[in-house]
Amino acid sequence: MSTKVYITGMGIISAIGDSVEETLQSLSDSKTGIGKINYLETFHKDTFVVGEVKHSNNELIEIAGIGNYNRTTLLGYIAAREALKKASINDIKEARTGFVSATTIAGMCTTELLYKDFLEGRNNTNFIDSHFCGVSTNDIAKHLGIIDYVTTISTACSSAANAIMLGARLIKNNILDRVVVGGVDPLSKFTLNGFNTLMILDKEWCKPFDENRKGLNLGEGAAYLVLESEKLVKEKNKNILAQLLGYGNANDAYHQTASSPEGHGALLAMQNAFKVAGIHPDAIDYINAHGTGTPNNDSSEGIAMQTLFNNNVPKFSSTKAFTGHTLAAAAAIEAVISILAIRNSMIFPCLNRSTQMSDLTITPVNTLEKNIPVNYVLSNSFGFGGNCSSLIFSKN
Amino acid sequence: MSNLIETLKAQIIEQLNLAELKPEDIDPNAPLFGDGLGLDSIDALELIVLLEKHHGIKIQDPKDAKAIFASLQSMADYIIANKK
Amino acid sequence: MTAYINGLSCISHHNTIDENYFFENLSTQPPSNKLLATEPVYKEYISAASMRRMSHIIKMGLTAGLMSMKKAGSEKPDAIIIGTGIGCYEDTDTFLRSMSDNNEQLLTPTAFIQSTHNTVGGQLALTTKCNGTNFTYVHQNLSFEYALLDSMMLLNENEATTVLVGAIDEITPSLFELFYRTDRIKKTEDLQSIWNSTSKGYSLGEGAAFFNISSTATPTTQAKITGVKCKQHIENADELIQETDLFLRSCGLQINQISLVLSGNCGDEQMDKKISEFNKKINLPIGYFKTLCGEYFTASGFAMWLAATIIKKQVVPQAILPDSQIVSNIQHILIVNHYHDKEYSLMCVSVC
Repeated sequence: MSTKVYITGMGIISAIGDSVEETLQSLSDSKTGIGKINYLETFHKDTFVVGEVKHSNNELIEIAGIGNYNRTTLLGYIAAREALKKASINDIKEARTGFVSATTIAGMCTTELLYKDFLEGRNNTNFIDSHFCGVSTNDIAKHLGIIDYVTTISTACSSAANAIMLGARLIKNNILDRVVVGGVDPLSKFTLNGFNTLMILDKEWCKPFDENRKGLNLGEGAAYLVLESEKLVKEKNKNILAQLLGYGNANDAYHQTASSPEGHGALLAMQNAFKVAGIHPDAIDYINAHGTGTPNNDSSEGIAMQTLFNNNVPKFSSTKAFTGHTLAAAAAIEAVISILAIRNSMIFPCLNRSTQMSDLTITPVNTLEKNIPVNYVLSNSFGFGGNCSSLIFSKN
Repeated sequence: MSNLIETLKAQIIEQLNLAELKPEDIDPNAPLFGDGLGLDSIDALELIVLLEKHHGIKIQDPKDAKAIFASLQSMADYIIANKK
Repeated sequence: MTAYINGLSCISHHNTIDENYFFENLSTQPPSNKLLATEPVYKEYISAASMRRMSHIIKMGLTAGLMSMKKAGSEKPDAIIIGTGIGCYEDTDTFLRSMSDNNEQLLTPTAFIQSTHNTVGGQLALTTKCNGTNFTYVHQNLSFEYALLDSMMLLNENEATTVLVGAIDEITPSLFELFYRTDRIKKTEDLQSIWNSTSKGYSLGEGAAFFNISSTATPTTQAKITGVKCKQHIENADELIQETDLFLRSCGLQINQISLVLSGNCGDEQMDKKISEFNKKINLPIGYFKTLCGEYFTASGFAMWLAATIIKKQVVPQAILPDSQIVSNIQHILIVNHYHDKEYSLMCVSVC
C-alpha cells in the first residue's frame, strides 16, 4: 500500500487551448476562453457566455482521426491521446493499464437534438447507442488500446477528482501498474438549461470569490493524467511531472444541490486528502479552489478553507473564469492546471474579481504570480448530491 | 384577492407536488419556508417559474424571492402590485 | 478479497421484498417483455416531504438501500457506492421533453437536479447522515461490478468497515419505447423460456438490489462474495471458460466446486451465442436468472441477491432451471453475465 503514484503525462482540451502548451500560454497571458456561444445550438445563444472548445464537431472529427463520434468521445480521446503521448507510452500492453473516465452527460449532446423527434416517430437516427455514460469511455479506451480496467464515474461536478482518486487506489492496491484518469463533458442544451433553472448562471464573465458574484459560466472540455506506480517509473526511468500525494472523498450530507454553509463536506474531503498525503496543511503553496462563482459555493468553500488552515490560508484562486465550469472534466482540467503551477513556478489568477467577500477574511490571487516555488498544491472539486473531493499534488 | 389566494393554493400544490396537502391546510399568513409549509430553496425556484408561467411576472434576482415568498399573502400582494 | 453480505434487499418484478416469497409456481417463460418492479410501500421508508420530488428510481434505490441497512442492523454505513447503467432516466426524460416542448423556456429545476446520476447516492448519504466515501459508477452493464470492486477495495484498505453497495436501474415509458424501436425488446408473441429462445430481443427489466458488506462476518451474515471480475471483451466460449478457470482459481476454487451457475442469457439467440455455448461446455447446473428479473444494465445486482438468497435458503427457484433439475448442497455459485455480447463479468458467492 505504500507505493507512490506519479503523474507521467497529461493532456487537455478546453476553451483555453487544445493542448497542455496552449493551456499554459492562455493561463500565462491571463486570457479567458469564455465568450459568446458559437457552436452550441440553443435558444439562449445570445443570453449566456460559455467556455467552448473552439472547434466544430467536424473539426474535432478531423483532429481526433478516429471516426465519426460525438463531441464527448472526440474531446475525451484528444485529451487522453495527448496524455499518453506526453508520458511516452507507445506500447499499452507492456503493463497492466486502466482507463477511468468521468462524465455527467455522456452522449446527451447528441440525444438532445434527436430525442423528441425520435420518440414521436419523425426520425430514425439511433442515438441510444451513444447515449449512456459508459459508451464514450469504452470507445476512447478501444482507440487507446486499453482493456485491463475500464470504468466510468459520475458524481456530478466532482466526478474527475474521483476518477483520479480511483486510479491512484488501483495502483496502490496493486491492481494496475498505470492508469489514464480524468473526465470529459461537452456543452449541451441540457446542462445550460438545467443550470439556468437553478438561477446560478452569470450572463457575464463569472467572478469567483467576488462579493458581487452572480453565478457560474459553463464550459466544456476534457483532461486526463497518466498515473504510474513507483515501480514502473523506476523500471522505465520515466520523467515525472508530479506526484499524486493525497486524495479525499466525503459527502456533505446536507442538501441535494446546496453546500452546507460551513462547508462540512468540503472540510472533510480536504482533511481526508491530508491524511492520505501525510503532510501538514502548512506545506501547501497553492490551492486551486472549486470556486464556481456561485454565491453558495464560494462562501461555503471559503469558510471550509479558513477552518482547515486556521485562518492562515495559502495563496488560492479559482481558474473557472478561464475555462468555465466544465462539470465532470473540471477536476481533471484543474489537476492539469495545478501541475502546470508546480512545473512552471506560477500561480494563476482568479480573473474578474474586484470586491472582497464580506463573509470571508481571505482574498484570492488576482494577478499572475511568477517565480514562486510551488511544491504542494491542493485542488478541490464539489458537486450535487453532496459529493466533495480534494486532491493533493507535489513536485517530487 | 381571496380568489387569487385560492388560485395560488391550487397552483402551488400542483407545481410543488404537494399531493398530501389540501388547499384549506395552507394558512395564507403562515410562512411557506422553514417552520410553516417546510419548503426549501428548490421550491423557491419552482415558485419563481410559477409566477412567470401563470402570472406573467419575472423575478430577475433569486435573492428577492425570499421576501416575496414569505407567505401566500405576500405572494398575492406581490402579484397584484406587479401585474401589468 | 472476500466480502461478507450482512444485509441485503431487492426490489424487482416479483415480490422479492417479502422475505418469505421465493418465486414459487412460476412459468419458465418471462411473464412479459416489460418486467416492472413490484414496489414496496415507500412511505414506510421515506417522508412525504422528501418523496414528493422523487422519481421511481430514487424511491426504489433509497428504499432498497434502507431495507438492506435494516437487515444488517446498521444505521450508518462507512461508505455508499452505487452502480447504475442509465441513472435517473425519468427525470432526464422529463427535462428533455419540457426543453423541446417549451423551446428552452419556463423550465423548472426539479427534474434537472434529480436527473444527475449520483442522486440516489446523495439521497442515501442525506438520509443516513453518512459523510463517508460516496461514489457512483455508470459503466453500463458493469456498473454494479465496478461498484462492488470499489467497495471490496475500500474494505481491503481499511478505509471502511461496512459499505452499502447498490445496483439500480429503472424502466420508463420513453426508455421502453427507445429500446423497442431499436430492436432490443422481444415481441410479446416471441416470449419463450430463455434457454429455448430463438428470437431477437429480451424482456426489459428494472430494479434495485443493495448489500451491506464488510470484511468480517457478523451475526446477520448470509453469504460471502469471493470474487468479482470484469472483461471488456470475450472472443468466444473457450475464452470465457479459460477466464472462468483463472477467475475461480483467484478465488481459491476450481470449476468442479461450483454448485450452480447463474447465467446471464438474455433470451436473444444471437447475443447469447457465446454464453450459451459456454453453458453447454461447462457441464454444471445452469440457472437462467433473467427469467425472473429481465435484462437491464444492473441485472447482475439482482443475480448477486439471488445467489446470496439461494445459499441461505438452499433452494433454487424451479422457474430458472431447465428440465426440473434438483440442485442441492449449494456451496459456491458462479454468476456469469454479459450485455449485448459486449462486456462480460464473473462473480462468485459462497456459503460462510
